[in-house]
Amino acid sequence: MTDANRQTLLASLPSSFDTGPDWLRVLRGRAADALREQGLPTKRTEAWRFTPVRSLVETEFSVDDRGVPSLVSALPDGVSVRHLAEVLEGQPELLQARLDLGGVPSHFAALNTALFRDGLWIDVPPDTLASEPLEISHRIPTSREPGVVYPRVLVTLGEGAELTLIETYSGTESGQLSNAVVEVDLGRNAKMSHVRVHENAGLQVGRVDVRQAADSRYRSTVITLGGALLRFDVRCLLQGKGAQCQLDGAYLLEGDDHVDHHTLVEHQASHCQSTQTYRGIVSGKGTAVFDGVVIVHRDAQKTEAHQENRNLLLSDTATVHTKPHLEIDADDVICSHGATVGALDDSQLFYLRARGVPEDLARAMLTYAFLESIVDRVSHDATRARMREALLARIPYGEEIRGVT
Amino acid sequence: MLKIEDLHVEVDGKPILKGINLEVEAGQVHAIMGPNGSGKSTLAYVLAGRDGYEVTKGRVTYKGRDLLEMPPEQRAAEGVFLGFQYPVAIPGVSNIYFLKAALNAIRKHRGEAPLDAIDFMKLAKKKAALVQLPDELTKRSVNDGFSGGEKKRNEIFQMAMLEPSLAVLDETDSGLDIDALKVVAEGVNGLRAPDRAMLVITHYQRLLDYIVPDVVHVLIGGQIVRTGDKDLAKRLEKEGYSEVREASRL
Repeated sequence: MTDANRQTLLASLPSSFDTGPDWLRVLRGRAADALREQGLPTKRTEAWRFTPVRSLVETEFSVDDRGVPSLVSALPDGVSVRHLAEVLEGQPELLQARLDLGGVPSHFAALNTALFRDGLWIDVPPDTLASEPLEISHRIPTSREPGVVYPRVLVTLGEGAELTLIETYSGTESGQLSNAVVEVDLGRNAKMSHVRVHENAGLQVGRVDVRQAADSRYRSTVITLGGALLRFDVRCLLQGKGAQCQLDGAYLLEGDDHVDHHTLVEHQASHCQSTQTYRGIVSGKGTAVFDGVVIVHRDAQKTEAHQENRNLLLSDTATVHTKPHLEIDADDVICSHGATVGALDDSQLFYLRARGVPEDLARAMLTYAFLESIVDRVSHDATRARMREALLARIPYGEEIRGVT
Repeated sequence: MLKIEDLHVEVDGKPILKGINLEVEAGQVHAIMGPNGSGKSTLAYVLAGRDGYEVTKGRVTYKGRDLLEMPPEQRAAEGVFLGFQYPVAIPGVSNIYFLKAALNAIRKHRGEAPLDAIDFMKLAKKKAALVQLPDELTKRSVNDGFSGGEKKRNEIFQMAMLEPSLAVLDETDSGLDIDALKVVAEGVNGLRAPDRAMLVITHYQRLLDYIVPDVVHVLIGGQIVRTGDKDLAKRLEKEGYSEVREASRL
């Protein structure tokens, strides 16, 4: 790759889309039109106020084709994993109306829609229970020049199907951008546990879009272990009566890390439940953003929605922007939201020290315990153990703490 | 073992302790009794090294060394133990493994090898039985979801594990019914030893029926106004603190 191939993200949009099925060309065309019209976000775009997005918008990247995630676990019985490019070539009708992000996407998601070349389609047929987790890995390729990848994943669970999906995102150094879109479509009564681990990557923008039919369950745990600029948006549309989603997140920032979590849960049907619990620890000059929105539509009676974001600041130069909020149009609902930003609890710290635990170790134990409570919610044993290890590897005295908690 | 001389302590600029003098020998149990607000807990926290308690005058010597210079973990390593009036819950930190970290830090300080997992668990089982602390509680997060009585038993369990030279027990009886009180007191009595001193802080005489002290001090208004033997506690129970307060002014 040479400099000649490098362009800003917007400039890399082609003027027309000539390959693939008609519906995809239309989809890509609309995404590109929307982008040309709106542009990419700036500091003045409300949802991007705290995200240092300028560096992404102005940098010239070369498009890198190595953005397809790889399957790193065995394939659970009954689950199929296919390349999007292959399906689009041979049976495009299977994907029609499933890659549209529920309407015209905007910003980075639109960019992905316009430009992704391949990706994975994970399908679990009705009533199939995947007993072991399926794991895919997104490794942002190393390159001497700034490159951009557009990973695209579609997950479909038929009625009554169950799946645990683990996604790991890891990179090597800053400068490489991953702009990922994951779409999840849950049929009636389907159950999905979705674990995402983002490890020290340079630049990541990610969008997870979940559509839930009646009585489906979606549980997401995202563990974010620092990075130069990470921005994640999760949207859950509770479309069928009695659907439930649980969004949990733990983030650990240091140095100049910037991590942005945006969630949007839309209660469109009655008797749905949603909970969001995000916890983060920020040290150094790190900046964390949590922006969570719950929208309860007028017909979504008997909704129950809870949102909580708690942060520990471990240095004077660390920053947290937190904004959980609710927009409620129904009257028969139970909703709560809250946010805290604080330091370690002095009385807990003193208790540990008074028993003989050295101060630094006591601090590390409390720090770990704060995030571990999120990891604890992962129900699959081996996965939970791995998440713990990932956290311990990042926390001072991890070795000592391994035996302590 | 412990020598407190003319100790003055302020909290947020407000004088709380106003010249405490106290000497505790190895093997002795001293009780400190006093009404609410007399400075009992302040004394306990100062001895354990909590932040926010400013010593403006006086000194505290422990085994011949300046106690006030040491950070809390060093005091613990040197054998000082504080049994908290309100033990803190620490969700996410397991009781038993935290205690292992504490015990091994103390052993390291003494130049002893760390206990391995098997020996540690054996010891823990034995000590937990001493205060009838169920196994399952030792494994839960520190004091998380424990009842009042379980928290206090957990304190004495930890004390039994750490085998301190000087135990300061701050209102160990508060919030306990009579059965729980007996269990806790038996646990404490089992730890009385010729090389161990205890400072038992309490509001009520009741606890001292079960943990019989060698010396009783009455703390009022930040000063020790009376010192006597165990009968002083009985008299206090009958006459109340106001009588003693009046008498001490004579």
